[in-house]
Amino acid sequence: MPSAIERQWNFDLPLTSLAVNRRGDWIAGALGDGSLRLLPANFAAEEPKEIRLHDGVSLSLQPDADDHAFLSGGDDGKAFIIDPALDAPTLIKEHKNQWIDHVAASPLGEFRAYSTGKNIYLLDDAGEEKFTAAVPSSPGGLAFSPNGKRLVASHYNGVSLWWTNAKESVPARLIWKGSHLGLIWHPEGKIVISAMQEPALHGWRLGDNNEMQMQGYAAKVRSMGFTAKTRYLATGGAEQVICWPFFGGGPWGKTPLMLGGGDGRLVTCVAPHPKDEMLAAGYEDGMVILAPLDGRMEILIHPPVAQNGAGVVGLVWNGDGDCLFAALENGYLMLFTLESVKQSVTHA
Amino acid sequence: MEQIPVTVLTGYLGAGKTTLLNRILSETHGKRYAVIVNEFGEIGIDNDLVVGADEEIFEMNNGCICCTVRGDLIRVMGGLMKRARNFDGILIETTGLADPGPVAQTFFADPDVAVRAKLDSIVTVVDARHVPERLKDSQEAQEQIAFADAILLNKTDLVSKEELENVERMIRRINAFAKIVPTERCNVPLDKILGLGGFDLNRILTHEPDFLEPADHDHSEDCQDEQCDHSDHDHGHHRAHDHEHDPSIMSLSLIADRPIDGAKFENWIGELRATKGPDLLRYKGILDVAGRDAKLAIQGVHMMMEGSNLAAWKAGEKRQSRLVFIGRDLDAEALKKGFASTYGG
Repeated sequence: MPSAIERQWNFDLPLTSLAVNRRGDWIAGALGDGSLRLLPANFAAEEPKEIRLHDGVSLSLQPDADDHAFLSGGDDGKAFIIDPALDAPTLIKEHKNQWIDHVAASPLGEFRAYSTGKNIYLLDDAGEEKFTAAVPSSPGGLAFSPNGKRLVASHYNGVSLWWTNAKESVPARLIWKGSHLGLIWHPEGKIVISAMQEPALHGWRLGDNNEMQMQGYAAKVRSMGFTAKTRYLATGGAEQVICWPFFGGGPWGKTPLMLGGGDGRLVTCVAPHPKDEMLAAGYEDGMVILAPLDGRMEILIHPPVAQNGAGVVGLVWNGDGDCLFAALENGYLMLFTLESVKQSVTHA
Repeated sequence: MEQIPVTVLTGYLGAGKTTLLNRILSETHGKRYAVIVNEFGEIGIDNDLVVGADEEIFEMNNGCICCTVRGDLIRVMGGLMKRARNFDGILIETTGLADPGPVAQTFFADPDVAVRAKLDSIVTVVDARHVPERLKDSQEAQEQIAFADAILLNKTDLVSKEELENVERMIRRINAFAKIVPTERCNVPLDKILGLGGFDLNRILTHEPDFLEPADHDHSEDCQDEQCDHSDHDHGHHRAHDHEHDPSIMSLSLIADRPIDGAKFENWIGELRATKGPDLLRYKGILDVAGRDAKLAIQGVHMMMEGSNLAAWKAGEKRQSRLVFIGRDLDAEALKKGFASTYGG
């Protein structure tokens, strides 16, 4: 089956990540030379705008608290806000000779946070430092709760949680043996889940400290997302998209829904549709699929790429959910629209 | 995917690691190296490819106590690999007190690191004047020598010929197989310490067929060198270099002229790794497996072992299995017996 690509761009440099702003109308791709490409997230998809950013590379690219901007931290020790309406990024912090490994912005409340080494910095809406805190090992992830009232950092043997309005930086610590990396909050803000160095997830329900352990992955889980209406946590790291049910008492004691694949290739990216009960998944060999959650068949929208190093490293929907962008490690950025997918299915 | 070569630079405090690093970074040799250092301030060179990292030792949650890795290296390697390739290799400087084990294990235990980078070799800088004392009081100093593919015996101008010979002997007792490069002020051609392929199974065989032969046969009195009897082909042969005195880390080599039984060997080495893993620092071998035309090469660090079938034995080539261990409190007799129990036929 041919690809359902509407448009594609080749940047001749490795793409390392992809993000969509909170408004859902711009996407940003980070490249291996430290620059960004910005693109309006719509059908028209003009030529990408190039922004020179880091002297090394972006280590973390996220939607900013300002809902049309992006936030990036890099191995040049700099953190920038990138506003698509402006021609130049705004430098907000610099730490000479250090790496800014993680950046995060609160969905509500205009907080920003970043980490260098073992230190975490929380900034208020004016960009002033509210507090700094050290965790036991360099954090593997940093994330604000959906209402912006809490900040969580993952590290060795657990996660640390702060209240963003607190004056003191003493965290609550949730313990689980092992090294914790990526983080995701349940959209209701009661559960925080970490992806571990081992191929497993560990989650904590705040308040009653109920914990959850999700295992059986073939690789580290690097991509997670809650599906529309918060029914499933969709995850990569296996040959199929593993979707843990968060309804009817789950995920405790429930088996996951497994979608797509099963041919020995691993899922590297998942992107739940922003409105409908459907998700997109990208694989280590460049394959991209759309998978409905109601049991209907998956649709292959981009076939595997024969050459090495063409894994999917970023996959995002625009806010309206009619455009899907996929970034391949070898520098290709692809745009699929629901319309191009429909036509490709009809002609197949 | 092309894997980027990584050289690990160890050495006790004051041995001369920083001097060496500064040389590698400042000399023109046509190559660019990213350098991961433990103390940023010591490197006097402003280079955007110098990265500071604090040692963060992580235990893997797989129930094995000796499967420790360096979390900081996993993080930094991940970041370096995002860069459009603008360097030819990576150098990792460890602290003077670091255990090289977790560093080496990181390259086997973390799948992301293993895909994109390969451990080329471990190079240990040793201060010829002070190392005899260090070996008496420091477990780390012993381990750094034990893990090495190459030992840069530095500051040789500060010792007499006799002292130097004595130091070489001490080093050989611990690690009989590393290349020893005497030097003053780390003044050594870089190709003697970079790109050695110490962990490359293929290279071991094709470029250095004698790698399993101890490099120095001049052993001290306490060495019980048991020569094998080449007339007795029915019982296979072994030869062990067995040292009973301090330091507790030593080298041991086993040779068999009979083919070994693949399944038996796997059982034995598996059991050995499970029970003695923490004491086995490094081991390598080329095996003549009964019923197979290809040479089997293995190498390991603690519990972690990898093996690969290499080119076939050539016609007329002496088929022989050779296995070396560098480890702590090795039981030479038990190892000899165990290896002998894997003979096939």
